[in-house]
Amino acid sequence: MFITFALITLLGAIGMLLQKNVIVAGLCMVVAFFGVAGLFVLLANPVAAALQIIVYTGAIMVLVLFVIMMLNSHEEEKAQASHPVQKWVSLALVVAAAIGAVNLVVASPGLKALGIKGAEMPQAMTLQKVGTLLFADHVLGFEVAGLLLLAAMIGAVALTKRNL
Amino acid sequence: MTGMESILQGGLQGYLVVALFLFILGLATVLLRRTLLLQFMGVELMLNAANVALLAFARFHGGDAQATVFYLFIIAVAACEAAVGLALVIGLFRHRDTTDSDRAASLKQ
Repeated sequence: MFITFALITLLGAIGMLLQKNVIVAGLCMVVAFFGVAGLFVLLANPVAAALQIIVYTGAIMVLVLFVIMMLNSHEEEKAQASHPVQKWVSLALVVAAAIGAVNLVVASPGLKALGIKGAEMPQAMTLQKVGTLLFADHVLGFEVAGLLLLAAMIGAVALTKRNL
Repeated sequence: MTGMESILQGGLQGYLVVALFLFILGLATVLLRRTLLLQFMGVELMLNAANVALLAFARFHGGDAQATVFYLFIIAVAACEAAVGLALVIGLFRHRDTTDSDRAASLKQ
């Protein structure tokens, strides 16, 4: 199960990286987000999985696809000047970072110990648990998040309006 | 479980490796593609990788509900970032008629 969702996620992400058409790349991104939601279910966290599907695949990706179609930029524009050195340097950097980080994770004794200690499946997360904790300990954070969403909404309208 | 087995069958290290690859692919998208919208999607992918790692640690910490509350805050910020970022892309398109980040390298018109 785990390997299936991991492959869905990573193949979606690779498709996004390699796809020429921007809309198809966006749809690959949706596939990757669904894979991540599946991983959250396997992590005994259906609340996070539902939020992932509603917010990311439902709201954010629809917004992105709307903007792509509105700007009519389906294809990547032709490069003004080619930067072969920068391209190779960033590719080398990415590969080196991937190999280094994976080595660190696989070799870490602390992570291995934590994985064995917490291997027993915990009870599935419920909305009630999250809600109780949210409104008991994090009310201020919740209010600030609401204020931030309002500010972002006003900011987005102000930025896109032609003559304000 | 030995290392490789733990990765393939969904131990903590398996989730962390998936999160790392997701982050690296997002980083590669930001570095290698020139379309601003794609770079934006790469940033979202990196944010998702961080979420996977956070919730994986929470599950191996006895199903901590605190992490889900943090996840809630993270996606609230991600939604704000998406709205403002896309508004900036639209604003740039109005001024320069392009969504290519190379063509928006200088602040002058």
